[in-house]
Amino acid sequence: MLKIDDIHVYYGAIHAIKGVSFEVGEGEIVALIGANGAGKSTILKTISGLMHPRSGSIAFCGQDIGHTDAYKLLRTGLAHVPEGRRIFLQMTVQENLEMGAYINKEVSQKDLDTVFDYFPRLKERRKQIAGTLSGGEQQMLAMSRALMSHPKLMMLDEPSMGLAPILVDQIFNIIRELHKAGTTILLVEQNARKALQIADRAYVLETGKITLSGTGAELASSDAVKKAYLGG
Amino acid sequence: MQILQYLINGISIGAVYAIIALGYTMVYGIAKMLNFAHGDVIMVGAYISFCVTNYLGLPSIVSVIAAVAVCTLLGIVIEGLAYKPLRGTSSLAVLITAIGVSYFLQNAAQLIWSSSPKNFTSIVTMEPISLMGGQLVITGEVLVTVAVSIAVMVGLTLFTGKTRTGKAMRAVSEDRDAAQLMGINVNQTISTTFAIGSALAAVAGVLLCSTVPTLMPTTGSMPGIRAFTAAVFGGIGSIPGAMLGGILLGIIETLSKAYLSTQFSDAIVFSVLIIILLVKPAGLLGRQVQEKV
Repeated sequence: MLKIDDIHVYYGAIHAIKGVSFEVGEGEIVALIGANGAGKSTILKTISGLMHPRSGSIAFCGQDIGHTDAYKLLRTGLAHVPEGRRIFLQMTVQENLEMGAYINKEVSQKDLDTVFDYFPRLKERRKQIAGTLSGGEQQMLAMSRALMSHPKLMMLDEPSMGLAPILVDQIFNIIRELHKAGTTILLVEQNARKALQIADRAYVLETGKITLSGTGAELASSDAVKKAYLGG
Repeated sequence: MQILQYLINGISIGAVYAIIALGYTMVYGIAKMLNFAHGDVIMVGAYISFCVTNYLGLPSIVSVIAAVAVCTLLGIVIEGLAYKPLRGTSSLAVLITAIGVSYFLQNAAQLIWSSSPKNFTSIVTMEPISLMGGQLVITGEVLVTVAVSIAVMVGLTLFTGKTRTGKAMRAVSEDRDAAQLMGINVNQTISTTFAIGSALAAVAGVLLCSTVPTLMPTTGSMPGIRAFTAAVFGGIGSIPGAMLGGILLGIIETLSKAYLSTQFSDAIVFSVLIIILLVKPAGLLGRQVQEKV
């Protein structure tokens, strides 16, 4: 479904991604783990078109999207829930969801109901300004907003960041449910333990390169991963 | 009674500032740039209206429509040619370019219409209303200007609050990248914003010259700066703030001209601005945005 082939990405003169290749198959949960600054978010931004690779190619559903503008990609079924949630803080919960459905022209009540089924808390708060939500609720809103466009592939950047453990569990349960409902997931996480638990396959990224790959279970039991990312 | 008359005059010129400030604030809020050429678009609008009535002999309402059409197009062209290529560069580069565009428009106007002042005929034909045995006069211009400024404010508030495009503009204003991830075409949204801002500038130009009938290539620059001040005064980016700032600025300017000094009225206006900003850095109705981390 998504095929990344030897991409190189630069921030000005800084060579951030040094030849990364990987794939996400339809119906999979694929995790990208690695330390801060390894380039995980950069890869997602490059896939979603906020940045462009200097060389290499990105194909989504057989289409080359390496140099497509970000705003066109949602229409192809690729949604990106960015790091730090990036919800519209001064708009209401409802308006944020409307923005999620921007490409559909109109917001269908059915889509809203689906989203509120996953996140009942948002229903109570739909008239509230998003900036007043708690961190967990903001993450829920960010995911809901992406769901409004019915993505085929959902890329989640650090969904557990800054959340209490109980909320992290809740968010990961919902990722599982979304996956069961047919959404393919590409997950970027610093919480390697959690990510490897739900991932079919995973890649380890270190300073712009993929150093390890395998199934979630394989990586979780690998000594190198244990030592570096799972606390021994 | 005199003071009431001054207040009315102040509100009238203030309403013109408000319309200009609304354009400034829209463009600033969404494109995150200070379009210093905004005042000169006002001047172009006034000239277009002047030409359509005086040279083509068409009714004033047609001249207003023509001014709006030309300025809307001008706004889109300026944004596309001068500002869009600078997207993502330092805001200083954009600011300097805007000043350049401002001079370009003034000089182009001088070439086309010469620097000698034109006498603008008011587009308002309504008879003035005399109150209290002629002690208080409300001209048609005052009524039209105030009505238009309120209509523009309400219109913009509804547009940004209720329509899909308006909400997309607010999304772009808050977070450009996130807006793109929602499928919003940021470039097109900014271009639409300039179109709206420039259309407002045209309306402001016609109303300005109906109130103060001298039209020159530099006609727009001082009101442009005052309106920018008004926008900052009220809280830049805020629609009601621009309205409030414009009206207050007009009143302060008129009262200081009447009671303190004509020469120093601008100095007084700007001193008030400095004091307000010292006390309330975000302006009267500006939002102090707090971001949750």
